[in-house]
Amino acid sequence: MAEFSTSIKDAGGVNVVYLKGYLDAHTAPVLENTFSNLIEKSKYSIVVNFKDLSYISSAGLGVFMAFIEKIRDNSGDIKLSSMSDKVFNIFDLLGFPLLYEIYKSEEEAVNKFSETKKLEN
Amino acid sequence: MNNSENIKVKRNLTALVEFSRIINSSLDIDFILNNVLLTCMGKFLATKGLIALCKDDKLILKSSKGLSEEQKKYFPQLSDKNDFINNHELQKFITDFKFQAVEKISSSDECLGIVCLGEKLNKQPFTEDDTEFLKTILNISASAIQNSLTVNEIKIVNRALDSRVQRLNSLFELSKEFGFFSESSRVVKLLVYSVIGQFLVSKFAVVTFIDGQLRIIESKFSEDQLLNILTSNDLSKLENPLVESDIQNNFSALYELGVELVVPMQLQGQVKGLILLGKRINNQKYSEADIEFIYSIGSLAIISLENRRLFKEALEKQKMEEELEIARGIQKNLLPGKIPEYKNFDIAVFNLTSQQVGGDYYDVIPLNDNSFYIAIGDVSGKGVPAALLMANLQAFLKTICRQEIQIVEATALINDLVTENTSDGRFITFFWALFENESRKIHYVNAGHNPPLLIRNGKIQKLEKGGMIFGVLKTISPYLSEEIILKKNDIIILFTDGVTEAKNVNDDEFGDESLESLAVGIEGLSAQEIVAKIKEEVQKFAQGAMQSDDMTMVVLKVR
Repeated sequence: MAEFSTSIKDAGGVNVVYLKGYLDAHTAPVLENTFSNLIEKSKYSIVVNFKDLSYISSAGLGVFMAFIEKIRDNSGDIKLSSMSDKVFNIFDLLGFPLLYEIYKSEEEAVNKFSETKKLEN
Repeated sequence: MNNSENIKVKRNLTALVEFSRIINSSLDIDFILNNVLLTCMGKFLATKGLIALCKDDKLILKSSKGLSEEQKKYFPQLSDKNDFINNHELQKFITDFKFQAVEKISSSDECLGIVCLGEKLNKQPFTEDDTEFLKTILNISASAIQNSLTVNEIKIVNRALDSRVQRLNSLFELSKEFGFFSESSRVVKLLVYSVIGQFLVSKFAVVTFIDGQLRIIESKFSEDQLLNILTSNDLSKLENPLVESDIQNNFSALYELGVELVVPMQLQGQVKGLILLGKRINNQKYSEADIEFIYSIGSLAIISLENRRLFKEALEKQKMEEELEIARGIQKNLLPGKIPEYKNFDIAVFNLTSQQVGGDYYDVIPLNDNSFYIAIGDVSGKGVPAALLMANLQAFLKTICRQEIQIVEATALINDLVTENTSDGRFITFFWALFENESRKIHYVNAGHNPPLLIRNGKIQKLEKGGMIFGVLKTISPYLSEEIILKKNDIIILFTDGVTEAKNVNDDEFGDESLESLAVGIEGLSAQEIVAKIKEEVQKFAQGAMQSDDMTMVVLKVR
């Protein structure tokens, strides 16, 4: 069975979620839990780092859809970063770049949060 | 050719080679067209220009210079591939907007499009040389344009192919996942994730109609409203998906809720559930292929849900059968295991239950060294309810026998107790007798049971004295009873209706007469032999037909 795990790092108020392995129908609940826990703690500024993710299926993409409204309603966002070409291709095929900000590096994505904060202030 | 012309030709050649190099260095169609247009306009000092390309036999404006957005709209819709240039509408456009030169861009085998150039800045007309040169430029462009178009087409095809592969992967993955007997909530979650991830949907619901019951499994719409709408609009017979226009026209309440697509989840032609989806966030509509995909996923999910339900049912049934088997063991233990020995009486019994647990009852209950009760009863109905009532009767009987109450009063008491314990019209037919070993006296009461046969010297006496069956009414008038002094070789046959109503394949009954005529010819046999004889005759009669009723016999012979 393909393995999947997540880990979280706090980068100055932004929560960086690292995905590792295969995100598919079987492992989707793991990510679901991770997001649920963050939302429970009112942590709405999230960057997902895809550096170590080797595969994502549409069930995996569904998890992003399931939480995005709630997070944006709380003036947060899920920003995506560091995707391999293969993973990006799937996001691209299904039209995600229209709805999600996708950055080359985690740093860029994290900084976007502070930039928007500055603008708001 | 003079010198200046020579230089001119040379310059033109160099320019052509450079032009060819540039446009062939890219596969970006916009870059190529832009270059072609700028080169032509620069070369001929044209103030405006446009390129239109053929696509699916239509001519579409692709690139233009010196035309306002408003003016571009006047470019005609052309579909006459063979003769665009002489098309009346195009000619009108050319005249209206003062285009001077029009040329086809042709590859070796087909027309790729056209170029139109506006009048020269110096108002000079296009010369024959100019036209020749334009043709040369366009010939060079043609191959670059065609390459770029082909590559673009392949890219589009590839992407479409990627999309299909991606969908097949999803289907494959889900079918693998649904193959396990997953929790139904998990199956629905996976179904939902796959669909919303695939189509960028944030509003959705999944409902099921299993066992005629409408259940909302997941919903991001208002559950109360959805329930209301689905209760007043029965969609449990929905054969085909409802697309946006169907919903808007026929189910306006659903449409107002934000539902844009309803896909039934069918199993063996029955609608077992619905997938309801809101709009796609990228504002695209659901295509036929999309709906087909959602339908496939839905079917996979419902098969998994249904399998799980059937599996659970089978498990429960198996568990119930195991419990019945235990009940059967308990019931067997309620019947006497070993018949006590008495000096003056030879006793044999036979009992067969048609189901796992039955409603027949018999017992031999010793009272003291000298006397004992023999009882036989038949609880109406079969199965677990009958068995419960039988156990109840047995408990009463065992208790009452110890109270040294006369058999008539005891019978009345048992009837009262049974009546208190039955409410659904069940009843018991019952016969019992107190036997005294030394005096060979019996004292019996028959509460509506098939009268036992007393056989003496080839004559039958039916033991009928008693009263009403147990369980219908509390005892009002006392039961009648009878005392008989038995003689050596007297035989008493107690039985339940399973014996006399045993059926053969033609549905004929064995009958009281058969039993009675059998009973007068058995005087030489022991009790055990009599039981065996009756059993054999009944079996012979039934010819292997399945018996639906329990069968019990108690035979007693006076020694």
